[in-house]
Amino acid sequence: MPKQMAELLKNEKQPYTGAHAEIEVTGLSKYFGKRKVLTKISFELEKGGFLSLFGPNGAGKTTLVKILSTLVAPSEGTVSVAGLDPYKNSAAIRSKIGLISHSPLLYLDLSAEENLRFYGAMYGVDNVDARIDELLEQVELDHRRYDLVRTFSKGMMQRLAIARALLHRPSVLFLDEPHTGLDPHAVDIFESLLDTIRQDHTFIMITHNIERGLALCSKAMILYNGQIAFYQNKADLDTEMFNEIYRRKVKGEC
Amino acid sequence: MSAKVSAGKQVFAIVKKDVLAELRTKEMVIAMFLFVVLAMVVFSQAFGVILNDLDRVGGGLLWVAFLFMSMLGLNRSFVHEKDEGCLEGLLMSPIDRPLIFFGKMLGNLLFLSIVELFAVPIFFVLFRLEMGASMAGIFLATIFLSNIGIACVGTLLSTISINTKTRDLMLPILFMPVIIPLLIAAVSATGGIMSGEELTEVYGSMRFIAVYDIIFLLVAYALYDYVISE
Repeated sequence: MPKQMAELLKNEKQPYTGAHAEIEVTGLSKYFGKRKVLTKISFELEKGGFLSLFGPNGAGKTTLVKILSTLVAPSEGTVSVAGLDPYKNSAAIRSKIGLISHSPLLYLDLSAEENLRFYGAMYGVDNVDARIDELLEQVELDHRRYDLVRTFSKGMMQRLAIARALLHRPSVLFLDEPHTGLDPHAVDIFESLLDTIRQDHTFIMITHNIERGLALCSKAMILYNGQIAFYQNKADLDTEMFNEIYRRKVKGEC
Repeated sequence: MSAKVSAGKQVFAIVKKDVLAELRTKEMVIAMFLFVVLAMVVFSQAFGVILNDLDRVGGGLLWVAFLFMSMLGLNRSFVHEKDEGCLEGLLMSPIDRPLIFFGKMLGNLLFLSIVELFAVPIFFVLFRLEMGASMAGIFLATIFLSNIGIACVGTLLSTISINTKTRDLMLPILFMPVIIPLLIAAVSATGGIMSGEELTEVYGSMRFIAVYDIIFLLVAYALYDYVISE
């Protein structure tokens, strides 16, 4: 085993960088009944950081994101998003976060514009008409704004879901397998949008696509059996090495 | 940046969204209307010949039809939220959970009231009932008061049943025992109006319905955060 990889395999927790932490998780555990889904998760992500979260199905990735986005309460430990406790300031946090998941979270029997207008009212978005125009143009759906979402392809729904997630200008974005079902054109639109907002946002992205996840991230984490199996700066990694680490961690070869 | 979110605008947006979705599909209102008309036709054929004073049992027949019709609608009230994970989208927005309840409840109340507005004249025609304008006002007020209770309890319980695998079965099982006190008072009040009883007795039943509505609105307000989370 190369010496560098051996070092990385030992290093399971990234030391704090000293920058202001936008997301802080300490000793987080989650039980569903007697089943433990997350065990003593602790990490920090600085403002503007991009964490790619890898792991096999059932590792607890989606549960972690649901806890951070106030949808599920933790059983133990503390969480802070944008300096706020999700369970004391849930409404304030919700206005600062956005979620792009493999489900578009859109009403199929409303048009693209009606969906955005509905979420605009929920978030109290200023100048909602101008914001909707701007976003529909960015996701190249302005020509379909009056069409029912039911008539959209999966890729178009996902592009509209991106517009929905960005509508209220969140500072933290959770991406739960956002590339699922996207055609290459939609992936291009999605990634160019990510590029344009990259500087002002903090991201956590769940993905199974190691190459894409590593290309986008500033930090990479592997969750396995509800525990952090690996957490490291991307600068110290390349795809081949990470693939090997992932295989060893997940298959218990180290 | 986002402005301060107005609770009224959020509730109105939920109602508007439900109305728009229903206008597109017409699934709920048409199914409810067809069911209630069918039930009334069957009742009028079955009981119209053998009963002389239908005005005394008319309240019971009316509310049996309305009760099952309302369950048909309430079972579908969260269908749009379940599609494509929209409930998660709604829960992630900065809205107080009880406001989601009020938005959904007002939508259900609107749909129930619209269907009943068309169904009541059909009921009067089928059962050859007559009523003066002032009594008709009290009659409709009783129905509307009862609808508030039905929409309130139904919305709360359909939220509980939405995440169960047997949600079509679960709602009636939960709904029936809770709604029985309201149903008895509604049958008594509407039956009393139809048979020309003393209004003091009718008002007593209406007061009971109003108290029931207030209690369950408060219960829903207090519990909804817990009911809709996790």
